Amino acid sequence: MEKIPLKGLDATLYKETLENGFSIYMIPFKNKNNYTQTYATRYGSDTIEFTMSNKKARITPTGIAHFLEHKMFEQEDGKDPFTFYGESGTDANAATDHQYTKYICSGTKNFKENFRFLLRYVNAPYFTDENVKKEQGIIEEELNMYTDIPEFVLEVKVRENIYQKHPRRIDVGGTVEDIKKITKEDLYDCYNTFYQPNNMFALLVGNFEPEEALQIAKEEMASRKNKTTARPTIKDYKEPVEVNKKEETVSMNIKVPKVLFAVKLSRKNFPIKDKHMLNLYLQLITSVLFGSSSLFKEYARNEGLMSGMYHEWEQVDDIVTLIFQIDTKKPVELLKELKKTLSSIEISEDDMNRYKKVWIANEVRMIDYVDATTDNVFSDIITYNEPVTDRISLIRAMNKKELDKIVQHINLENTAEILVLPKEDEN
Amino acid sequence: MKYIKKDLGSYNLHIIKTDKFKSVTVQVSFRAAIVKEEITMRNVLSDLLLLSCKKYPTKREVALKSQDLYASQVMVEDLRLGNYLNTNFYLNTLNDKYTEEGNLEEGIKFLSELINHPNVENNCFNSEALEIIKRQAQASLERVKEDPANYSLIRLLENMDRNSPLSYRPMGYIEDLEKIDASNLYVYYKNMLKTNMMDIFILGDVDESEAERIIVEAFQSNTYKKIRKPYRLEDKKPHAKPVVIKEMEKHLLQAKMSIGCRAYDLTESERNYALTLYSIILGMGGDSKLFQNIREEYSAAYYINATPNKLDNILIIRAGITKENFKKVVRLVEGELQAMRKGKFTEEDIKKAKELFQTSMEELEEHPSRIINAYYMMEILGADDINTRRKKMNAVTSEEIISVAKKVKIDTIYCLEGE
Repeated sequence: MEKIPLKGLDATLYKETLENGFSIYMIPFKNKNNYTQTYATRYGSDTIEFTMSNKKARITPTGIAHFLEHKMFEQEDGKDPFTFYGESGTDANAATDHQYTKYICSGTKNFKENFRFLLRYVNAPYFTDENVKKEQGIIEEELNMYTDIPEFVLEVKVRENIYQKHPRRIDVGGTVEDIKKITKEDLYDCYNTFYQPNNMFALLVGNFEPEEALQIAKEEMASRKNKTTARPTIKDYKEPVEVNKKEETVSMNIKVPKVLFAVKLSRKNFPIKDKHMLNLYLQLITSVLFGSSSLFKEYARNEGLMSGMYHEWEQVDDIVTLIFQIDTKKPVELLKELKKTLSSIEISEDDMNRYKKVWIANEVRMIDYVDATTDNVFSDIITYNEPVTDRISLIRAMNKKELDKIVQHINLENTAEILVLPKEDEN
Repeated sequence: MKYIKKDLGSYNLHIIKTDKFKSVTVQVSFRAAIVKEEITMRNVLSDLLLLSCKKYPTKREVALKSQDLYASQVMVEDLRLGNYLNTNFYLNTLNDKYTEEGNLEEGIKFLSELINHPNVENNCFNSEALEIIKRQAQASLERVKEDPANYSLIRLLENMDRNSPLSYRPMGYIEDLEKIDASNLYVYYKNMLKTNMMDIFILGDVDESEAERIIVEAFQSNTYKKIRKPYRLEDKKPHAKPVVIKEMEKHLLQAKMSIGCRAYDLTESERNYALTLYSIILGMGGDSKLFQNIREEYSAAYYINATPNKLDNILIIRAGITKENFKKVVRLVEGELQAMRKGKFTEEDIKKAKELFQTSMEELEEHPSRIINAYYMMEILGADDINTRRKKMNAVTSEEIISVAKKVKIDTIYCLEGE
């Protein structure tokens, strides 16, 4: 078992990969009461076209990853997971995103039994025509629930306009039409392809003994063979840097208008090849430009340009996208100011150093919380394939020269904007 | 964990010493009997105080200062606690050990600047700053319907008892917002400092006397305040027959149902203990009666849960449903409440509910603000301490849960649905 100190954080990452490719990552803490256990597959809603090891190409309906997440809680025999976890007061949950599906339990007791159960129930699929049909109704209701919340609808809408080909343009839950088409065979095919040891990992954080946890992982996982020895080949969409739709105006059931704005860039153009380092610089740029201490925010506040703003960076294959969602009563002026800020980026050495200090402090603070540490490390594994164990040193290594080089490659050549207005009949 | 409480005359200082965290958390709480027309004003005031102050006159300067203090976080939260309106200001900053000597003191001074030395001239708040906050408040008040589940809850409470604080909207009202100006808000602020009950908490690996010195220097107040009103809302009987209210929200696909139950005539021990276990068994989590029977068995709701509110003597059941299923869900919920009254739950169910409670107590100890909240409730409600709560909860019997079940009755059923 590898033991890697998390530099500057008084914590250690334990790591082991079994022969079948299954990896387990552990961050134990002696002084905590609680723990989280995550068992995840690197399979999410983005994966809908792939070639299996028998060379058979598959295109599946959308929404299968999320459908599987729902169905894993149903067991042929043995205990229902909610009932099992309920007995020890443990919380059980699951989530599907574009690139992963994860099963989580968090609690304070029964660490070993719970971990064994987690691995077992996710390793035991049980799909029948009947239980698939029942779930279709439940999932349709869930999708309807999100349709009632404008922010969720717009998150999908903006991606539809950004991406021409990549399935990132589709809602994680899939479309209602597709959900109705899903069969138990589809579920088994995808399960057998992606819920295999070489495509999965476990992440444990909190109060437990790493040796004991590893022993359980070995007992439950070592004898599991990969149904496909080679990992399936996921389709490369060769997503172009041009956006799908540059401008659009939509009306929705809202009171305050919204602007969605996205900047689409090609990652290959950036001078930094390291994905993590590039992300740090990109985040630094938007933190300085649009964070709580930014001049943009100050101006927008004073001019009454907006009432809420959210931005995020997203990476899909070789495409890097910056997405804004803003509530504004003055959408035209707001967009003008936003574009102005993005086309003349200036970041001082002081700005950079201040944010480096902020980020380092946040890393130290985060390690106090089992949940926050879990989220942080999980996101590293999904984004960079491995946990980042020396983030503080990487932050310290950031410098103005590199930053300036990256700034030069941010341009507004490919952007998508959506203006969202309240529906006429609502006024 | 070591707890020390000091009565400093105009406020209590609570020092909770623990080496569990790398950061130090400070909470400054103000509370007073709630007045409906003041809710909006209080929300505006809280946001305004954190926007700027005399020393840091713009939000940007406030943000720069907090970043400079090793990403100190300053937050504020207004909430109703029964008959009271309560405001908590928080500061979270890394311990000096991980930053530099004096960081904590600087952080507390910073919090004090924001609360005690606002951006005021000629007995008026800075009007530009106020405009910024009012604009933001206006936008968020206008958006209240955009979260249909929450809107359904608001409308339920408004319909349960129009005259009680239960019906007050926590985010306030547009018509009250219009009445706020730089001068009347300042009067309100001065009054808050003068008349509100105040408590200050500091939690972390701190030296007690040093912590006291810093707090006392930063927060000087010499008014004497006395409590007048009980915290808990008046105990009210449910309607003899549940009142049903349906409202339309044109484009809504999934109907949002909120069922308000009165938990009437509970004893102190039932309210603090058996009611909690009752609620867990009935409707908290994936293993609860409501979830298992109504969602899993009948697929009649996408989500369904129950939450008690001890201070308001109520229990709220919330569900997302297909509107055609409304009657069916009402019937099923009635059935589950009735089954609880008849004691149709097992010793195993009770054991699991107790385990869940114990876990939540253990997890509470991992979160500074939740630890502080536990001490705050001990202070104002005379709640039992964490260890006593754990012991007493374990002693609850099925008879006590049945006794609670008999006192929980549906009062009002509200449903927000599409066309």
